[in-house]
Amino acid sequence: MTLRRADFSLDEEQEAVRSAFRTALERSCPIERVEAAATADPPGYDEKVWRQLLDMRIVAMAVPEAAGGDGAGLTELVLVAEQQGAFLAPVPLVEAVVAARLLASCRDQWLGDAVDGNRLATVALHPHPEGRAQLVPAGAIADGVIARAGDELVLVTRDEPPRAVANHGSTPLAPWLLDGTDTDRRVLASGAEAARLFDRAVAEWKLLTAAALVGLADAALRRAVDFAINRVAFGVPIATFQAVSHPLVDVAMAVTGTRRLVWRAAWFADNEPDEARDLIPMAYLHAVETGMNGPTVGVHVQGGLGFTVESDMHLFFRRAKGWSLVAGDPAHELDTIAAARYGPAAPTA
Amino acid sequence: MDFGLIEFDDETRRFRDEVRAFLDEHLTDEVREAEWRTGDGMNLELHLALGRRGWIFPTWPAEEGGAALSTLHASILEQELTRRHEPSVTRGTTRLVAAAVRGWARDDVKAEVLPAAARGEVRMCLGYSEPDAGSDLANVKTRAVRDGDEWVINGQKMFTTGAHNCQYTFLVTRTNPSVPKHKGITMFLVPLDTPGVEIGPVHTLGGERTNMVYYDDVRVADRWRLGAVDDGWRVVTSALNAEHGMDEAGPTPLEESPGENRLYLGVYFEALDRLEAWARAPADGDGARPADDPIRRRRLARIAANVELAKMTPGPMGRIVGVELFIRDAVEMLDLVGPPGLLPRGVGGAVAEGWFEYAHRFAQGTAIYGGTTDVHRNIIAEHFLGMPRSRPSSSAS
Repeated sequence: MTLRRADFSLDEEQEAVRSAFRTALERSCPIERVEAAATADPPGYDEKVWRQLLDMRIVAMAVPEAAGGDGAGLTELVLVAEQQGAFLAPVPLVEAVVAARLLASCRDQWLGDAVDGNRLATVALHPHPEGRAQLVPAGAIADGVIARAGDELVLVTRDEPPRAVANHGSTPLAPWLLDGTDTDRRVLASGAEAARLFDRAVAEWKLLTAAALVGLADAALRRAVDFAINRVAFGVPIATFQAVSHPLVDVAMAVTGTRRLVWRAAWFADNEPDEARDLIPMAYLHAVETGMNGPTVGVHVQGGLGFTVESDMHLFFRRAKGWSLVAGDPAHELDTIAAARYGPAAPTA
Repeated sequence: MDFGLIEFDDETRRFRDEVRAFLDEHLTDEVREAEWRTGDGMNLELHLALGRRGWIFPTWPAEEGGAALSTLHASILEQELTRRHEPSVTRGTTRLVAAAVRGWARDDVKAEVLPAAARGEVRMCLGYSEPDAGSDLANVKTRAVRDGDEWVINGQKMFTTGAHNCQYTFLVTRTNPSVPKHKGITMFLVPLDTPGVEIGPVHTLGGERTNMVYYDDVRVADRWRLGAVDDGWRVVTSALNAEHGMDEAGPTPLEESPGENRLYLGVYFEALDRLEAWARAPADGDGARPADDPIRRRRLARIAANVELAKMTPGPMGRIVGVELFIRDAVEMLDLVGPPGLLPRGVGGAVAEGWFEYAHRFAQGTAIYGGTTDVHRNIIAEHFLGMPRSRPSSSAS
């Protein structure tokens, strides 16, 4: 029998980080900028906003002190990622942070440029299919992609990133070939070390994306609640109808619980990584569902307006799936949870 | 943020061993069997023994009958009691009513009731619901009419759980029928041995015993009134807020803190532990574990992920999220174990002592007692989301 603390309070530094990024994005990233970025080429990228976050040392803070960074933990990074989600900020925050942490682990020469923002590295989330292309998040704005190719972890670079493909979430998604005529590649790690680093990077990407989805759902909820309070039908605000208010309450509850689950998963990843290999997939699974449910309820609470692109809700709706589905079917998280709790599937393996 | 393990110092280890030795002696298989049989929600011998240790109100000061336990020690006590299936319903209601007595009763009533409650000799239940007033509590019809220095009470209460083991009930009455319904309510602490009180058993799908209580010209002295005449809504609301966890200030410091959600979700959490133990053990026949099956693995993992979300969601939100996941997952658990899941506790061949069969029935009540989840959604819509009332405002009844 053991007892653990269950302290979800933020310390002064964590509060400061959260509020600094919230304030910055509140000023620099109104929803009009999100909308404008969605139709730009490549889509979903606002260089000015990204440069501002780089100046606030978003990538530097994610890198361990030993590698020249500020040594923030995932516990702090999820607070920032949640703000990115809340403002739908069109920046490659999650990818740049995860890639920089990988580059730091591999002591790669690109790290300095990645931290300063002179070069953008991203991560390909699936073991790379030989000879075929893979859709890579932030791939259309990246100078290099870290990928798992066979037994190796490689950094693949190009002078010009591939063109973005039009996509549901209006994100800078692009297909990368690892062995095109215009690519260079170098090995960052191989064998078991490559597998370990790759798995850790994907887990970190999912954790930070989970945080962003919590922020997204919460922001969509607030817009939907405002609408429900102000919109009058049949002579009363529609918020007085339980068929309207109860789904909003369900979103609020899911946001509250999922946020805490993300925080707890981040804390364990920082402090006792072996203790809770199932917490990140659990957090991600719930965040994917909550992230999608928030703007879905939002669209329907707004009714006809919510179905038009006059409402902001479609921006939330598209990114909920657009951000998460690049990592694949969330049902696979269940396999990861099962492996952590019950061991490998085959009894004789 | 901190979710680290708490290192037990020597004193804490000693306390834990003391709790365990105490429970070995007083919370026996016999006590648990009696609870399965009766659904009473209390065992008198155990309750009195807890009272002798000051463990009915473990954090109260010793001079008031408590044991002045720290939060950590109180959590250890609560965790051990939960693990060993303490029949806890009446201890829980006694604690809630005691808080209201402390806040609203006359000094002579406090002196008469509270030390005896701490000793375990006095136990208290909640006289809230009526056949026609549950979630809409302010709609109660039970009448209290003043007669000199006494009140005459007539009416009928439903779901007065534990009444047959209690000395007092915390009674919601209507004292003024001609004002808006929230404004005509008065609270009493009614001694249950007063002539005219009649208690009859009602049994639930979950196996608990609750009661119908009839009040027929029951005369109580004015000293048993809690709070001002017609101001009972304020009294009962403060008690309800404590029950619903609305008063919780800040984060719960410990994972296993005593909290009201334990009463709702303890069976769910234990069901996951038992399900995973079942899934990890080789099945009869081919020797493969249920957890080796690719489809069942995913379903097990889904339930584990749901339980984690239920544990992470705090306060009244956690109750709603948790019990609704519980209701769905209880079905899933039965489906996973298959036909033997139908066999109840005590029948040969039952899985996990019939826990899933029990949990499936028990789960239904958790979305009802203490206020239905839908009523609580209304409360969250108003108090957490700032939305307007989603039901007609009260009028004179």
